[in-house]
Amino acid sequence: METLSRPTSTTGESAETRAIAIQTTGLTKRYGKDVLAVDDLDLTVYEGEIFGFLGPNGAGKSTTIDVIMDYVRPTDGSATVLGYDAQDETREIHERVGILPDGYGLYDRLTGRKHLEYAIALKQSDDTVDDLLGRVGLDAAAADRVVGGYSKGMMQRLALAIALVGDPDLLILDEPSSGLDPNGVRLVREIARDHADRGKTVFFSSHILSQVEAVCDRVAILNRGRLVAIDSIDGLRDALGTGSTVTLTVDAVPNSLTLEELAGVSDVAVTGRTIRVRVDEATAKVDVIDRIRDDGAAILDVTIEESSLEDLFSAYTGDAPPRVDASEVGR
Amino acid sequence: MTLVTIWLTIARKEFADALRSRMIWGIVVIIAVMTSLSAGISLLVPDVEGGAEMAIGGASQFAGLLVPIMALIAAYLAIAGERESGSLKVILGLPPSRGEVLLGKFLGRSGVVAIGLALGFVVSGVVTAVLYGGLPVGAFIGTTVLTVLLGVSFVGIAIGISAVTATRARAMTLAITAYLGLTLLWDLAPNAVHLLVTGQMPGGVVPAWFLLLQGLSPTGAYNALVQWLLLGGGTAVEARIGGPAPSYLDPAVFLGILLAWAAVPLLVGYLRFRRADLS
Repeated sequence: METLSRPTSTTGESAETRAIAIQTTGLTKRYGKDVLAVDDLDLTVYEGEIFGFLGPNGAGKSTTIDVIMDYVRPTDGSATVLGYDAQDETREIHERVGILPDGYGLYDRLTGRKHLEYAIALKQSDDTVDDLLGRVGLDAAAADRVVGGYSKGMMQRLALAIALVGDPDLLILDEPSSGLDPNGVRLVREIARDHADRGKTVFFSSHILSQVEAVCDRVAILNRGRLVAIDSIDGLRDALGTGSTVTLTVDAVPNSLTLEELAGVSDVAVTGRTIRVRVDEATAKVDVIDRIRDDGAAILDVTIEESSLEDLFSAYTGDAPPRVDASEVGR
Repeated sequence: MTLVTIWLTIARKEFADALRSRMIWGIVVIIAVMTSLSAGISLLVPDVEGGAEMAIGGASQFAGLLVPIMALIAAYLAIAGERESGSLKVILGLPPSRGEVLLGKFLGRSGVVAIGLALGFVVSGVVTAVLYGGLPVGAFIGTTVLTVLLGVSFVGIAIGISAVTATRARAMTLAITAYLGLTLLWDLAPNAVHLLVTGQMPGGVVPAWFLLLQGLSPTGAYNALVQWLLLGGGTAVEARIGGPAPSYLDPAVFLGILLAWAAVPLLVGYLRFRRADLS
């Protein structure tokens, strides 16, 4: 995880000292009798953090955001945003929140510029269109064309610019990187970071873990409508014990290999002159190398592989096929 | 931002969209051509007591059929289309409430239909004046205003339909149903009731309630009001029912019916749309 200039959240900090940006309490959303899109979700996002909202497609991420934005009404439970009730104080929320919704559309016959002028008028902000265009990397010539001719990436940038209108206290990005090239993906991260650096909150939903890993202070993992984990990425890694794999090539494997006695080592496998050691704690890596030398082998090569977030993710969400989210069926 | 400016902003955008899509010019041209033609046709029919009033009456008959379908087309996708495309999520993610979106759309589209109809009528008014060598200005302006009201009623119906449907296809089905039901089938209903009550089809003189039944639909109310305007007060009604007109055949009643057809569907649409899940 990258070093961030602002204070990152720590799980131990007491809730009273930090203002809450989003809070859901027992939030449940049922579509019809059979589809339980969100199931008793308790979630707290603090002001000033970049919060990653992870989960496979259909896990209920968009439905949660739909309730937060009052696009849908919860079956049970409640949500507050910046201290306002999501269902009763929608105006107050929408004046302070910017959203890039999932499954949004734009007006084909309007230019990008007109879209932004409209959003600025409705939010009564004093943004200038060109500033917004600059922030999302959309050039002025493109902004003067109608959106009907835009590529997916250009539409995504424009929608992102609309979300930024009025410099919102809370920026909600639902799958912001879809349709973007690597430059665009980096841009989304920069916007999120820039926003958080100014003390604002970013709520970043994604099913692609690498995007969240790079920017988020904390993440929640949602699966089948339920919260399965909430922590920092490092915290999740520690909790799961899916550490790293140390692969060593030695001149000869010692007869008395005592690696398994080491604290933090979970598995040892020997193939020919290669020893693969799974470690759960970062400090165990050096211990492994020292112990092999003590056992009398010369080390010719060492590689260390961190377990990927994908491993982490599948450990939490299992291999179960994602349940179809009703909000995605409707489209 | 105050409530007023938000829905005004939305209404203004709706209006600008209609200009851009040339929808408004379509309305102008169709109304101008069709009403001018129907005004002209009165001249060609022999033995008909001509006159500019008759020409305006003929034009209003055409308008009674055309205006509903144009207003429905102009507005039935206003909300359902945005809901299906997802642009509604962008707008509702901004400060406007659902009620303000609904109101802004109703006003914007009503403005489009009203201006389109008024311009179309101006053209046919000029044509009528040339053909008949004069134009009864009061009757003409009155008919134009009533036609605009008819258009606004159907915009209200269309926005109501658009608010209760989640897809374009459903909105279209309901809009077609509304058109057939309110303009074509409704004419049959009073006859059927007359047949049931009296055992025969309505003749030259009909009971007063028969005229009320006819005038309960937006087009029926419009026709009643245009007749009252062009044929001189209540005399035509009295001739039709063969006696003094009861108070429920007062023009104010039909005006109320016409306005209610705009307001009630809007209100029903709002109540459903306000609580709807938009995903």
